[in-house]
Amino acid sequence: MLEANGVTIKFGGLVAVNHVNLKIRDKQITGLIGPNGAGKTTFFNCISGVYTPSEGTVIFDGRHIEGLRPYQICQAGISRTYQVINLFWKMTALENVLVGMHPRMKGGFLTDMFKTPAVRREEKEAKEKAYEWLKFVGLEKYANDPASSLPYGGQRLLEIVRGLASNCKILLLDEPAAGMNSGEKEEFDRLLQKILDMGVTILMIEHDMKLVMHICQYIYVLEYGKLLAEGVPEEVQNNPEVIRAYLGGED
Amino acid sequence: MFFTLLISGLVIGSIYGLIALGYSMIYKSSGLLSFMQGDIMTLGAFLGITFYSYAGLPFPVALLLVVLISIALGFAIEKGVIRPLLNKNTMAIYIVLATIAVSYIVQNGSMLVWGTITLNFPSIFGISTIKVGNISFQPEALMCIVVGFFCMFLLQIFMNKTRIGTSMRAASMDAMAAESCGIDVSLSTGLSWGLSAGLAAIAGMLIGPIYGVYTTLGATIGRKGFSSAVIGGYGNMYGAIVGGILLGLVETFGTSYVSSTYRNLIAYVLLLIFLLLKPTGIFNEKAIRS
Repeated sequence: MLEANGVTIKFGGLVAVNHVNLKIRDKQITGLIGPNGAGKTTFFNCISGVYTPSEGTVIFDGRHIEGLRPYQICQAGISRTYQVINLFWKMTALENVLVGMHPRMKGGFLTDMFKTPAVRREEKEAKEKAYEWLKFVGLEKYANDPASSLPYGGQRLLEIVRGLASNCKILLLDEPAAGMNSGEKEEFDRLLQKILDMGVTILMIEHDMKLVMHICQYIYVLEYGKLLAEGVPEEVQNNPEVIRAYLGGED
Repeated sequence: MFFTLLISGLVIGSIYGLIALGYSMIYKSSGLLSFMQGDIMTLGAFLGITFYSYAGLPFPVALLLVVLISIALGFAIEKGVIRPLLNKNTMAIYIVLATIAVSYIVQNGSMLVWGTITLNFPSIFGISTIKVGNISFQPEALMCIVVGFFCMFLLQIFMNKTRIGTSMRAASMDAMAAESCGIDVSLSTGLSWGLSAGLAAIAGMLIGPIYGVYTTLGATIGRKGFSSAVIGGYGNMYGAIVGGILLGLVETFGTSYVSSTYRNLIAYVLLLIFLLLKPTGIFNEKAIRS
């Protein structure tokens, strides 16, 4: 579904991501792990259009997407969340989801202003749909509260559901469980399963190994911008290279 | 006397409000300060005279044409001047300077085309004054207030109730997040600059029939519009309107009860008071980064 071939990202002389090949399988959760500074987020930024790769290709559904602008990549069907939560803080939770639904809405400058019945109906449906999305992650009671007033875990969920609202095919999650307590993490684990059941494919950067090993079907490990290992959770867990990278070398 | 002053205060106040709205929109969408508002207003007034008086088009048609041309111009300036500078990672102050450069080009360019004398904007309604009781005023003054308020109202609806408006607000709050929600931020920023220019041009078309049209018409009004935006809370839409009306009223009543010599003194002292005591303006817009 999504394939990165030999992706390299250089900043001046620094090679942040070095010839990474990665394949995301349809309707699965793929994990991307690695020590801090391994280039995981940089790689994400490349898939989502924030950076253009210096070398290599990114192919999504048979189409080259490297070098496209972020909004074009979103419109193509890839949504993302950020490590540092990136919401529209002054908008309500519902409005945030409505903005997320943007790629699916039929524009219309004049019809918007004059509120034809068709526009009214579409807007009403959009609001109901947005409310449904909030319900999906259990945030409906915050619908009309500004995003900034939500509890931390709620803000994470809101960012995820804003991404889902675009009806994306792939959701990129950058450390979604960071800052969640163990109860919230269990609930999050169930939510990921629900998202998968909807037919959405997920690529997730995450540091919580318990969560990653439990839910990801396939895992890629990055270190110093290079692919260190890949495989199903058991393989990765028992890979001596990965253990070395995480626990420090024997020599 | 009171009502006459009230009307002229509201007239100039709604003009300040329209200009201030443009400043606020640009600040909100790009985090930048543009000093072109006043001169685009002048250009709007000149274009208005050209279409309405010289070409003989009906006033609403002329207004629509002027607004469309100005929106295109604002959009083009963002794409042709501002965006290339931003792409070079230029410091914000240089972009502000670039807008000053553009404003002088527009001002002097209008001088080249329309000359240096004050042009009379012909009457729009065919009657020179409306009399209500013992108050008399120009019908154009009434139009200025009504259309001014209507535009502000329309803009509120546009920004808050339409999808384009919502995506523009989203883009201005967080460009990165908006991009990842599928919003073309570059297009939306261009639109903000275009709409700001459109608002300025409307202001020019409204004030032209009352003040006459000359090349420096927008210079003073542009600065006062800027003051209004600061007084209301720089970047806040409601603040721009309230700040504009307030400045218009204070200035008009002040000059009438004190002296017309001190018209500008009153306006800029008010600006300084706000900058020193309440830089976040009436609507408490966070102008200072925490």
